[in-house]
Amino acid sequence: MITEKCQNFDDNELVALSRSDSQYFYCLMKRYEEKLTNYVKRFTYLPDEDIDDIVQESFISAYQHLNDCDCKLKFSSWMYRIVHNQAINFMKKNKKAVKIDVENDDEFVDWLVADTDIEKETIIKYFNEYVKTVIEKLKPIYKEVLVLKFFEDKDYQEISDILQKPMGTVATLLSRAKIQFKQIYEKEKKY
Amino acid sequence: MKKKKSISELTLKTITKKQIKPIPKWEFIAKNWTLWAGVVASLIILIIGLGLVIFGVIDDIISPYFWLLIAVIFFGLSYILFQKTKRAYIFAKWQVVVAMVILGLVIGGILFKSGLAKRIDRSMETNIPRYRQMAPMKIATWTNPREGYLSGEIIKIDKNSFEIKDFEGKKWTITGTPLIKGRVSMQIGEEIKIVGSQEGENTFEGTEVRPWTGRGQNMMKENY
Repeated sequence: MITEKCQNFDDNELVALSRSDSQYFYCLMKRYEEKLTNYVKRFTYLPDEDIDDIVQESFISAYQHLNDCDCKLKFSSWMYRIVHNQAINFMKKNKKAVKIDVENDDEFVDWLVADTDIEKETIIKYFNEYVKTVIEKLKPIYKEVLVLKFFEDKDYQEISDILQKPMGTVATLLSRAKIQFKQIYEKEKKY
Repeated sequence: MKKKKSISELTLKTITKKQIKPIPKWEFIAKNWTLWAGVVASLIILIIGLGLVIFGVIDDIISPYFWLLIAVIFFGLSYILFQKTKRAYIFAKWQVVVAMVILGLVIGGILFKSGLAKRIDRSMETNIPRYRQMAPMKIATWTNPREGYLSGEIIKIDKNSFEIKDFEGKKWTITGTPLIKGRVSMQIGEEIKIVGSQEGENTFEGTEVRPWTGRGQNMMKENY
């Protein structure tokens, strides 16, 4: 089976092999199918059929652009970038807003707590009630950075390569996301 | 029940069925080179533009606005094209803008200092018919005989000299054998500018005669 043979190759080797044999590209797709599907699901809230379409279109686009693959980047960053752009285009075309699915993840909660003067217990207790609603009201770009940082576990360099923004901007976006989170949280608390 | 095919399987099937192939590498290389050639060409024009703006402002011989417009247009174009290159995103926008301004001013300044900006202006005047209307000469600069610049209308032509009336109405006798550059036919009524030196109250020795093609309405407003 080709998938067994592929186990011995890393992503970049598979990219090189895929240029002449699409079977090797199948191995790459297998490697990333689940991750990319979950990623799109997390920040689009679209029905499964739409998500499948986005991922499939992204794979086809990636296959066509294999000879343009920027192999100085991680293949995963390149692939995430294609899926991200495909999803954003789909959302624009269908006039849908970016929605994200966040969880009561420890690292994420700690990040929300730091510098916001909100107690950790409060965040955890009300996470599903209004913390999620507050996050939903953040600017789309902030939500995208949050998903990549906390739920896809990407580092600053990878987020920079995926969103095609300088690393300093990625840090600024995260910091602004927290400021906006605090502002909306305070406002929501009043009502 | 038949098992639902995975996205990977469906995609591979589509690739095979539609005979989709990776786009050849040369197409990406050509696109990339074209883009970089555009960036470099725009930067060169930006640098020339800034060099001539500096020339216009410091030497005060030509009006710098045309070149300022060129510099602004090509600054924008260089920026847009650069942003389309693959790794441009690693730089913050302000870094790109600052780098382009510094590059333009430094190399443009070198063009001015080396005299190349002046030569480009003269060459444009000779080779591009309407150039002087777009980047007009300043009358004040060319009515400065003590500094070696004089301009006006030819009113008389003798065997070894000719006379002009400058734009302030004063008559001058031009001596010497000035080199004629550009489209000058040396006829009575023709407007010219002369480079040389003042010899007396009404006498000017010319070394170079050029057509006065820049006496436009804008410049009149600017100088009077």
